[in-house]
Amino acid sequence: MINLKQLFSHVSSLDPAEVKAYIAENPAGSYTILDVRQSGEYEKAHIPGAKLIPLPELDGRVNELPREKPIFVY
Amino acid sequence: MLTGKGFTQVFNVKGGIKAWEGVKAWGPVELNMDLVTGEESPGEVVVIAYGMEEGLWRLYGTAAERTSQSEVLSLLERLGSIEERHKQDLVRLYADLGAGSESDLRSQAVYERFEGGGRADVFLKENDQAFESAEGCLQLAMMLEAQALDLYSRFAERMSGMSAREVLYKLAEEEKTHLGLLGGLLERVLGRGKG
Repeated sequence: MINLKQLFSHVSSLDPAEVKAYIAENPAGSYTILDVRQSGEYEKAHIPGAKLIPLPELDGRVNELPREKPIFVY
Repeated sequence: MLTGKGFTQVFNVKGGIKAWEGVKAWGPVELNMDLVTGEESPGEVVVIAYGMEEGLWRLYGTAAERTSQSEVLSLLERLGSIEERHKQDLVRLYADLGAGSESDLRSQAVYERFEGGGRADVFLKENDQAFESAEGCLQLAMMLEAQALDLYSRFAERMSGMSAREVLYKLAEEEKTHLGLLGGLLERVLGRGKG
C-alpha cells in the first residue's frame, strides 16, 4: 500500500494561493504542474496545464519530468 | 518518491484540486489532440492556433447575432475585439518566425474548431443559457481560455521539436494573460451587480 505521507515526507507544501501566484509570475513551461490522480479524476477537473501521471505509474514515468524545473504536485 | 530520484524542487499543493480556487480545465489527456501530430514546425503550430482564435472570434460573433440583451451584446463585441487582437499577435509571431505573411497564415488555417479545440455549433447549442447574462458570458469565456491554456500545454508535451514546444509555451503564457484580463472584467461585472 502506498503511504502518501512517506512519499511527500521531504516535500514542502504550499497553499494553492502561493502556487497560483508562482504560476502567474513565471512563464508557462518553466515549471511543471503534476497531477498524480487517476485519469477519471483528471478528466472531471484539473489545473489548466497539469501533466497527468497517476501515482502507480510515477516510478516508471519519472523521466518524463524535467528535473531542473519546480514541480507542483497534487 | 520524486525527491528520492534527485528532484530538488518538489512542492505539494495543499488541499489538492478541491482547494484550487482558480478556473479549472476538464477533459481527458487526449481531448482535441487530434489537431497535432507532434512533428509540427513552429509556423505550423501558429497556423493551428490562428484557426482556433478565428474560430472563437466567429463563435462570439454568432452569439452576438443571437442575443437581444444590450449588455451581453456589448460584452460579446468586446470579447470579439480581444480575439481579433490575439489573432494579430499570431500574425506578428508568424512573421517573426519567418514562416510567411498574414495571407499565407489565413490561407492555411482551419476554422472548424475554436480556441481549446471545440466545435462552435455544438458548443453554442449546449451553452446557450450562458449567453443570457454578462456574467455567464465571461465565465464561459474564462472556461474557454483555461481550456486553450491546457490544450497548448498538452500540445507542447507532444512536440518533438524544441522550437515548436517553445512557441506553444509562449501561446500558453498568452492564455494566462487572457484569463487574467477576463477575470478583471468579471470582477467589474460582479461588482456592478452588488447592492
